[in-house]
Amino acid sequence: MSVLIDNSTRVVVQGITGNQGRYDTRLALDYGVNIVAGVTPGRGGEEVEGVPVFDTVAAAVANTDANAAVLYVPVNGICDAVTEAAEAGIGVILATTENVPRHDAVRAVAAARAAGAWLVGFNTNGVISPGKCKIGGIGGDNPDALYPAGRIGVVSRSGGMSAEISMALKASGHGVSTAISMGGDRTTGRSMCEYLDLFDADQDTDAMVIYGEPGTGNEAEVAAALRSKRLRKPVVAIVAGRFQENHPRGVSFGHVAAMIGDEADSASAKIRLLKESGAEIANSLDEIGLALDRQLG
Amino acid sequence: MKLTEDIAKSLMRRLKLPVPEGAPAETATRVGELASEFGGTVALKALLPTGRRGKSGLVRLVDAANAEAVATEMLGQETELGLVKRVYVERGAKIAQEFYLAFSFSDRVPILAISTAGGVEIEQVHATTPERIVTTPIDPLKGLRPWEAIDLWSRAGLKGRALADVGRLTARLWRAFVELDAEMMEINPLAVDADGRLSMVGTMIEIDDGALGRHPELPDAPSQQPDNPRERMVNDVNRANPGGDARYVELDGDIGLLVAGGGAGLLQHDMIIDLGGRPANHSDISPAPGTVKTEAVLDAVFSNPNTRSLLIGYNHLQMAPVDRVVEALANSVRSNKVDTSRFPIILRLFGPREAEARALAAQIGGITYLPSGASLLDGARAIVDATRKVVAEEGEGATA
Repeated sequence: MSVLIDNSTRVVVQGITGNQGRYDTRLALDYGVNIVAGVTPGRGGEEVEGVPVFDTVAAAVANTDANAAVLYVPVNGICDAVTEAAEAGIGVILATTENVPRHDAVRAVAAARAAGAWLVGFNTNGVISPGKCKIGGIGGDNPDALYPAGRIGVVSRSGGMSAEISMALKASGHGVSTAISMGGDRTTGRSMCEYLDLFDADQDTDAMVIYGEPGTGNEAEVAAALRSKRLRKPVVAIVAGRFQENHPRGVSFGHVAAMIGDEADSASAKIRLLKESGAEIANSLDEIGLALDRQLG
Repeated sequence: MKLTEDIAKSLMRRLKLPVPEGAPAETATRVGELASEFGGTVALKALLPTGRRGKSGLVRLVDAANAEAVATEMLGQETELGLVKRVYVERGAKIAQEFYLAFSFSDRVPILAISTAGGVEIEQVHATTPERIVTTPIDPLKGLRPWEAIDLWSRAGLKGRALADVGRLTARLWRAFVELDAEMMEINPLAVDADGRLSMVGTMIEIDDGALGRHPELPDAPSQQPDNPRERMVNDVNRANPGGDARYVELDGDIGLLVAGGGAGLLQHDMIIDLGGRPANHSDISPAPGTVKTEAVLDAVFSNPNTRSLLIGYNHLQMAPVDRVVEALANSVRSNKVDTSRFPIILRLFGPREAEARALAAQIGGITYLPSGASLLDGARAIVDATRKVVAEEGEGATA
């Protein structure tokens, strides 16, 4: 097993006729991903890399039973594209677009949730269940080298760091059940802890590695879930950005949400909180393997 | 982008929201003119893109006759929030009751915070009587409707005629919050006078930087531009080339950083500090193809007089070709006439088209390209060592 995607995943690529969509589709097909459809309005009837293109996601789903969507859509169309996919019944929606305006982002998140869809991103390079499926550009032209199969779940707030963590896992004799770049934007479809819930319930995952940063309540929620035993499997955490604490940047202006929501916003506070809650802290990537060995005996 | 109060209020006025009469002025004489036009008590507010001015004496209620004299004191004053160059002059409000209202965001939903304890700093209310602040998430698909806002204010303890008016105004402000693509909007105080008229006396708005492109009606904000010429240059390049902004922030060390992909950049910066190094800047850049912004950051690094070395440390790239980064480096080394024998440059740059990138780096000469598989920590260690060495050699050269 794996989480979110596996051998039964049927992928539709929204924005397949653009450069990035076309490039990543080629690499995904090479990896063996079952890409069944593409969508670009006005280009229905064409083919890209042998994949049929439809005008709407609903048409793609009706003709191909697609159940996951990868979106290469410019920032001004992303909210609509997510909503379209969610309402067409797509279960997993991956939005690669970065720096999505907050109002668009929260509307897309709400639309996905209302339809019962799982939105990954914004600002993600993908999800990979090694040997089974990947959505997004994750793994680049050589996913096998970067993401060896194994029993560790990875959730990262940085796409690049999911690869670095995975390589560190490989170097220490571990591998990945599923690696998830959950999105680098402040607003993401799901919280880090929601991904860990999936891994916690996955019988082919033994432990999880998370990569965190300053900002957002993601790490604090994970810490709370560890304390309450909502999460039962070991969590190894690497949190970057301590240096920012030495450089206060101007006077804060938006403060209500910060005051009420984010008491643990800095990297140091997150490290402290996660440690107190029972997570293992890795100070460098090399320490991840050692921490896992300790946890898994 | 934090708006100054004059701009925030002119936007609100355009939306027909109840804002007191007022105007900005750059000279004490003009302040005096405006004040005598309004008459009675006027508010003088230093125009700085921030709140928290009350305590610093940057908001003064004065008699119109004294306005010019007080403005003379305020203008040109150097404060911890910046130099006061302009003052906002506003007709004094006759306040019977003061409320607080703010829209902002948690990670995934918009949040409304309201309180009938307005007029003071909300942190103070939160610290002493948190029960007087009512916060609620707002469903962005439905928005905030007048009857919902009325219900929330009723729960916050508001009664009578003001309840209906304040509730309806709150729903209109929600629409303004959305239309302006605001990241945050705070009205404090939202005042009611003895006749029950509402007035948004304090208005702070921060616009979402990610949405500025679709708001041509917003002015360029020169006060937002950094003083540092290199930071400003990178900003200008971003403006000229929309999408995937490069960030460059100068610090006081000597190690130049071109780090990408957010995460690896943060981690390497932490590691360099842990190893005793001192970054001259932080940067963040989307690794997507296109060299203009990469070159802008490199130009900034090379033209910063304090920088002695450069680490180009990217995540193992998965989607973008790495030779484009080295192309940008070659251009910037050439145009800035960098002597690579005295200015160490270390590359940790792996991914698609790495062979081409290595060949190109060899052509530049004097570049240390770390072997495939080198860790982020290896890169951090290499740049700290190389910088230490070059700084020590320079020291010897100076004393010899």
